[in-house]
Amino acid sequence: MIPLLTAAFAWQSRAVVERHLRVHLRNWHTAFLPPALEPVTNLLAFGLGLGGYVGVLAWRGRDVPYLSYIAPGMLAYTTFMTAMFQSLYAAFIRMHYQKTWEGQLTTQIELRHVVWGEVLWAALMTTMYAAVVGVVLAIFRLFGLLDVALGWLPALLPVVFVAACAFSALGLLFTALIPTIDHMNLPVFLLVIPLALVSGTYFPLEHPVARALNAANPLHHLAEGFRGVLVGGGAAAHLLAVAALSALMLAVLVPLDLRLLRRRVLGE
Amino acid sequence: MTPLLEARQLVKSLGGRRVVDGVDVQCHRGEILGLLGPNGAGKTTTLRMLYGFLRPDGGTIRFDGVDAGAELAHAKRHLGVCTQDDTFDGDFTVRDNLRIAARYFRPAVSALAARVDELLDRFGLRPYAAMRPDALSGGFKRRLMIARALVHRPRLLFLDEPTTGLDPQARMAVWDLVDGLRAEGLAIVLTTHYMDEAERLSDALTVLAQGRVVAHGTPKSVLGDALGEHVVIVPAAAAEAAGVAPWLAARGLDAPVGVLGDWHLPLRADTLADFARAFPGLRYEVRAPTLDDLFLKLAVA
Repeated sequence: MIPLLTAAFAWQSRAVVERHLRVHLRNWHTAFLPPALEPVTNLLAFGLGLGGYVGVLAWRGRDVPYLSYIAPGMLAYTTFMTAMFQSLYAAFIRMHYQKTWEGQLTTQIELRHVVWGEVLWAALMTTMYAAVVGVVLAIFRLFGLLDVALGWLPALLPVVFVAACAFSALGLLFTALIPTIDHMNLPVFLLVIPLALVSGTYFPLEHPVARALNAANPLHHLAEGFRGVLVGGGAAAHLLAVAALSALMLAVLVPLDLRLLRRRVLGE
Repeated sequence: MTPLLEARQLVKSLGGRRVVDGVDVQCHRGEILGLLGPNGAGKTTTLRMLYGFLRPDGGTIRFDGVDAGAELAHAKRHLGVCTQDDTFDGDFTVRDNLRIAARYFRPAVSALAARVDELLDRFGLRPYAAMRPDALSGGFKRRLMIARALVHRPRLLFLDEPTTGLDPQARMAVWDLVDGLRAEGLAIVLTTHYMDEAERLSDALTVLAQGRVVAHGTPKSVLGDALGEHVVIVPAAAAEAAGVAPWLAARGLDAPVGVLGDWHLPLRADTLADFARAFPGLRYEVRAPTLDDLFLKLAVA
């Protein structure tokens, strides 16, 4: 267990991350377009479009403009979706079609490094995407379209990184389990998209059952923590919950991922 | 002389089936060891254990006298692996494939740029250095795979069916490269389905069947031990041929192997003389045994 967790800091895991980063930077113009365009589209569609009808939302006993409400939610949504999709589709393609993992495993890289490399790369990429979303939010604020405090935004990027590690470890679990890429629709449509929408990202859920379920939902705490920082209000408890739940997910999921991937990749 | 690679009593089960069952392997510096056997014999699984891809369920692997299981990362620094499937990185050019592969080893490869240039020239890849591997022909893809396996200057190279699917010209080009590597003192473990390849390249053969070693030694001694000195080819439709199988059975010899209307009978020199006396009217051909005969025998067994 300990060697598996410390493998995150091994040079082999960094070599895997470096390889993915090099590929990504080769295609930077297409790689960074989606994270820049998606928040613009969402801010325009949900914030200005839908927000024009909604106006303000009651959040923690005060009225908050809808655009200000969804801006932190979008940051949390980006964290979740980017990490999940990277560890679902991109990792599956590298494992199954490109045989990148098999090539790496003939070197001094071991499967635990491949797993951590995938987790860390997904988290790094997510953090970069979150930074791009932050820039978009800053531009909206500059034009007076958004009323949020962005001064603490850089301090949130480490939180994004930690949460993205946990989300990508969850994504790798499905990558290890699904037989073909077509089966990826099952976790995506049955878990990822529903969870992304019912976690307080784009609208609040006040039903007692939803609130109880969201107490153990790291994405909900991420959205509420970001909202607390950017809109104002208590954020510490939510950010602590993100850290605790992320640590728990990593401690459980990474060993499980490794066990399942050992069977899948090595046949053991 | 201490073997560079020495594996003893390797055991591995996959999917509840014992795929490798007590296999011993030895390979010395400057030697090519051919690992042979019919499909499902356990060649690739054995190879994968030897290069650290799979963990043996039992047995030991020593690299240069050191337990490779305890010092896996250290041992793997000295191993080069060319897998059966192409596993090069399609996201990078030919040159960058070599560069990226080198980054998966520590201590870092010294004078990497010069090493990459050296391999591009040696393997005839220089004209394709800026291309993606997918654009290469089958022969040059294999060259890239072998070059990539050598980028960190390993001492032991594993080649898993390196010429499968190549045309004869490309196969022979790969043979020349492999032969040159042996001449430089590299130890090479090779699996192949091509018997001519194994006979031409291997200094020693280890033959596997159903996960066990059934023969080991030089190609000539392996054939002699397993088959005898001669193979007699008898037309199965010949009048006297009907008596051949009972004659073999009466002497406790294997039943003849049927190939395209002929029977192939591996026989020792003294048995051949008895055979000639027993079937004076039978027309047959006698030739030296090849590894194809050994494979046929193992496959039938």
